[in-house]
Formats: sequence, C-alpha cells, structure tokens
Amino acid sequence: MSRGKSGRPTRPSGEAFWWALFSAGGVMAAIFVPAFILATGFLLPSGDPAAAAEGAQRLAALAGWWPVKLVLLGVITLSLFHCAHRIRHTLMDLGMRNLAGFLKLPCYGGALAGTVWLALVLWGI
Amino acid sequence: MAETKTITLELFRYHPETDSEPRFQSYEVPYDEDWVVLDAINWIKDYVDGSVTHRWSCRMGVCGSCGMMVNGEPKLTCAAFLKNYYPFPIKVEPLVNFPVERDLVVDMEGFMDKLQDVKPYIIRDDVNDTSEGEYLQTPAELAQYKQYSMCINCMLCYSACPVVGHEDDFLGPAALALGHRYNKDSRDQGQSERLEVMLRSEAMWGCTFVGECTVVCPKHVDPAGAIQQAKAMGAQEYFKRFVMPKGAGATKGAGA
Repeated sequence: MSRGKSGRPTRPSGEAFWWALFSAGGVMAAIFVPAFILATGFLLPSGDPAAAAEGAQRLAALAGWWPVKLVLLGVITLSLFHCAHRIRHTLMDLGMRNLAGFLKLPCYGGALAGTVWLALVLWGI
Repeated sequence: MAETKTITLELFRYHPETDSEPRFQSYEVPYDEDWVVLDAINWIKDYVDGSVTHRWSCRMGVCGSCGMMVNGEPKLTCAAFLKNYYPFPIKVEPLVNFPVERDLVVDMEGFMDKLQDVKPYIIRDDVNDTSEGEYLQTPAELAQYKQYSMCINCMLCYSACPVVGHEDDFLGPAALALGHRYNKDSRDQGQSERLEVMLRSEAMWGCTFVGECTVVCPKHVDPAGAIQQAKAMGAQEYFKRFVMPKGAGATKGAGA
C-alpha cells in the first residue's frame, strides 16, 4: 500500500463500496425485516388458525411471483452484507485489524454464498 | 472554626529525562465546592509541587487546552467539579491514545497532522475580489455546518474513541467532523479534494460508529453524526467516480 508523507495510505479504497452495502442493508435490517417478521411471525398466526393457514398459503403463492422474489432477494441479500460488514469490523475492533483484508473473504464471501443459496431457493419456488 | 475539608488528587507523573516509568503521586487539596479539577491542579502547582506539568488557558471551556482523563473519563478539567467526586479521591491522567510528553501533557503533533490532512479551510476555484463583497449565505445554509464548526480541538473525542487507539491511519472524530464542516459549507468548492483524503482505506471507514466521541464532546459537535454523513457523501463520490472515471467533473479539484 502506498503511503504519503504522514505515513497514511494515499489511495482511495474499496471500503466505500462495502459501506454502501452495509448502509443499504442497515435500512433493510432495521425496517423491512422486523416488519416482515411482525406480519408473518406474529400478526398472521395470532388470529383464527384456519384463516392463518389460508393466509400462509396465499403468502407462499405471493412469494412465487417474480417481483416479490426480487424484493425478497434485495432485502435479504443487503441484510446479509450488512451483517457481514458489521462482523468484520467487530472482529477488527476485537484486535484482528491486521487481518482486515483477509476477513473480507469469510465475511463478504459468506454473504455472497447466502445470496447464491437464496437465489436458488427463490428460483425453485 | 470547622476543620478544612480536603480531597485527594492522584496525579499521573512522568518526567522522561529522569523517570524510567510513569507513577502516581497523591496530593491533599483543600476542598471547595466551587472548585474544578483544574483549580485543584493549579493549587498543587502553586503551593505544593511546582514541577507538576499540565496545559490550561481559559478556565471556561473555550480554549480546549485542559483535557485530561479524570477517573478514567476524558474531560475538560475546567468543567469537572470537585463536588461531583467528593469525598472520593480523583485520579487524573493525560489523555489516552496520545504519547505522553511530560506529566499530564500529551504530544499533539499526530492530531495536528490529521487536522491538516482534511484541508480545514474554504477552497474556491474562483476567488472573488474583495470589492465584490462577502460570499453570502442563508441561515439554512449556515445551519448545515454550524454545529460541526463548534469544535475547540480539545481532543477528548480521540481519547474516547477505541478506533483511534488501535488504527493509526484513522483520521479520528474531530478531523473528520471538521472536514465535513467544510464539505457542507455553501461557500466551499473543495469537497472532492477533501473526499480524496477521506476515502482512503481507514481514514474514515475505520469508524465503527461506537459513538463515544459524541458522548464526551463538551461542545455538542456530534462528530459521530458528521462521520456518518461524510461516509454517505464519500460513498456517493466513490460510485460517481466509478461511473465517470477520470474527469467529467467528478473529481473536481482532486488533482490540484
């Protein structure tokens, strides 16, 4: 890494890219994911069981519609990258700063693997 | 007459020319509920031990010189009242995350370098002649950056920030907030030039939004908020450069 007079790196880095994914994922994880969990995990099952079962079926059918698949892919993928970035920086805070570059592989690689798996699942619905 | 109340101050002492390692020295100081920790240290220097070394100037939270660790917390000693600690002893140390020069005085050079890195001044492509008058600004434009301009460079935020402690390349809360202050100034045209510095790997992205900088700031600057806004601005700039590499106005002033 090239360093300037002050000893600090002189080149812009790709951190902006990972932070943008982290930031977008933060919005998803903080707003959309809790809303989905509230709707599908608490509100729907709390009513009449027969109506809940019917509701669940209709939701499953909705998830087969491709615009909904795209929304799910976006929300979950960005949340995964949010999580990956937070874990990487937490590990750095815990003393693994020298491994900052290497940590990208398991963290963002894990998020990418989750994205691929999710895409396959959605494809199969 | 009632016996004079006293309070114990444990001062961090280190004179590099004679001491092989730092030590703590206790002093009994008259207790006055109007006194602040700085008054007590000044009393020690004036009446007990003239060799105690510390920085101070205004005594009213304006100059930013008297920042020290008071019972492990970064504080302006001119604003830390003895009555908030009495009757327990008060431990005073130099600001952490800085090299110690002597006793309670830290070496500010690294901090000053970081301040310069963010070019904390108005940069213009076209400079108007003074006969044309001032660069006018609306109250709304002033409100965009006013809060971030209140920094007194007391460096408490650098002592509170865990990232400053283990990442030399991190520019730190005050410098980033100051850079952001100029980026948000409607009279300024040097945003790209400043972001060029802030986009470097750990310069700004090292911040993990712990937020302690904002908690300890005596002037309510909210550096943590400034850094988050600066990151959003930096990410936009990054993608702009990605879409329009080398030119098309995206890197205005960056090569200067």
